Amino acid sequence: MKKRSNRLPGRKGSKLFKAMQNVVSILLFLLIWELLVRVLHIKEAFLCTPSSAIYHLFWPQPDADYHWIVNISATLKEFVISFAITAAGAIFLAVLISWSKAIQNVLMPAFIFINSLPVIAIAPILLIWIGYGLKTNIIIAFLVSFFPMLLDTITGLNAQDKQLLDLVNYLHANRWQILFKIQIPGAMPYIFAGLKISSTLCIMGVIVGELIASDVGLGYVIVNAQSTMDTPPMFASLIMMSMLGWGMYLAINLLERLLMPWSFLKDRVDA
Amino acid sequence: MKRKFLRLAKKYGIKLLGITAFLGIWQAVVVGFKIKKYVLPSPVQVLRSLFDPTLAAKNQWWTQIAVTGGEILASFTVTLVLGVALALLIAWSKPLNKLLMPVIVVLNSIPKIALAPLFLLWFGYGIQSKIFVAVLIAFFPVLLNTVTGLIDVDENLLDLVHYLNASKWQTFTKIRIPNALPHLFAGVKISATMCVVGSIVGEFIASKKGLGRLLRSAQANIDMATMFACLVLLSIMGLLLFWLISKAEKLCMPWMNREAEEE
Repeated sequence: MKKRSNRLPGRKGSKLFKAMQNVVSILLFLLIWELLVRVLHIKEAFLCTPSSAIYHLFWPQPDADYHWIVNISATLKEFVISFAITAAGAIFLAVLISWSKAIQNVLMPAFIFINSLPVIAIAPILLIWIGYGLKTNIIIAFLVSFFPMLLDTITGLNAQDKQLLDLVNYLHANRWQILFKIQIPGAMPYIFAGLKISSTLCIMGVIVGELIASDVGLGYVIVNAQSTMDTPPMFASLIMMSMLGWGMYLAINLLERLLMPWSFLKDRVDA
Repeated sequence: MKRKFLRLAKKYGIKLLGITAFLGIWQAVVVGFKIKKYVLPSPVQVLRSLFDPTLAAKNQWWTQIAVTGGEILASFTVTLVLGVALALLIAWSKPLNKLLMPVIVVLNSIPKIALAPLFLLWFGYGIQSKIFVAVLIAFFPVLLNTVTGLIDVDENLLDLVHYLNASKWQTFTKIRIPNALPHLFAGVKISATMCVVGSIVGEFIASKKGLGRLLRSAQANIDMATMFACLVLLSIMGLLLFWLISKAEKLCMPWMNREAEEE
């Protein structure tokens, strides 16, 4: 939704200004939250202050040990594996499907149909089939995030300039050349849009898996803390999850910049 | 009349055939390989758990459907009203936009589903907590899409009406809101799925009634047929909501139909 800012020297100041503005309004939000909780004497069992959430993250508590390192690495592992399978699997399958119009005509309606279903509802069935643990959470996350990614990639592979395809056909380009020189570069914007959507869905899938059945991970920390009405670790866990999400978002953006330098170049010329 | 029927038959016939074939193969595989009921139920067993009087009475399908459907509809309505109202406010006032948007963008990037246990703590195990969870995760797509639609308007058009002394109200009703409708509906479609997901996950974590709750209790009993029946009902509810939205879309944006027909 935000327009990509460019790197022209004249705009750099305004970009910095905008970033500052964002930081200030977020800090303001946290400050209001902190003050409200303190001034209204809201009980910690109901809502904790942001500062105590952060405090719980970095200073070990005498009454409870949350094993942050273990839980964070479990969630991170689930997230990275499921996201990698989603991304690689969806792109691979999309390429296969895009080669045959007939297969596409049969499978696309099915994929669109599945994509409109509440896939998360399958989680309890997976728990019976596979049992509890990391594997189940990975599969839940994969199922939740796979179809949006697949549909985006197929759309991208299909959305090619017809004249360009005619031209290279005329020049006897083979299937691989068309794929690597035209289809995949052309599909990049769609692929990255898909990656951004499915990375958030992946996190959601992992967390839902951890919430409903798990004995490790950030989602487990939340459920566990809820049962003792201990809000600071819940918010601390939430902060860590958001960090994971932001980290992945930044990584995808960086990759986008590396793999599609032309799209950023175009912005600069436009401005 | 006959032509219309033929067109409909052609449009839905293939899909219907595909679904029937899929169910047929499923049934044949389950029967043929003697797959146990607790591993994978056959479609017939799923149907029986839905319609067989004794089984249906045990599962109280109508109560579950009413609870979950109520949650989905309530959360969807709240999402729509709140999302559009806030989007209008943000698009109307620049200071509000500057103040709220960064916070909204940050809140949106939080995996909101993780707040579900907290909401259960705050609002209890009843229907309200599920509605709040569903609204929380469904709210942002509507809000952000509508804001984009309201603000991302053709500059030339704005200059023109400004020159013609259009009031702010007129710019909103004649230009910004029609411009926002396609974005709004795109957001609403995402939100519809999110409302269903939020209600289900809320019920998974803690609830007394509803299809999500039934899924969990059937899981404890390894009653696969009931679980698949829940899945079918949830899918139907999701698809119904989707269908309603696309009908509303056609009503609200008649010009889109015209474009589609011209093609």
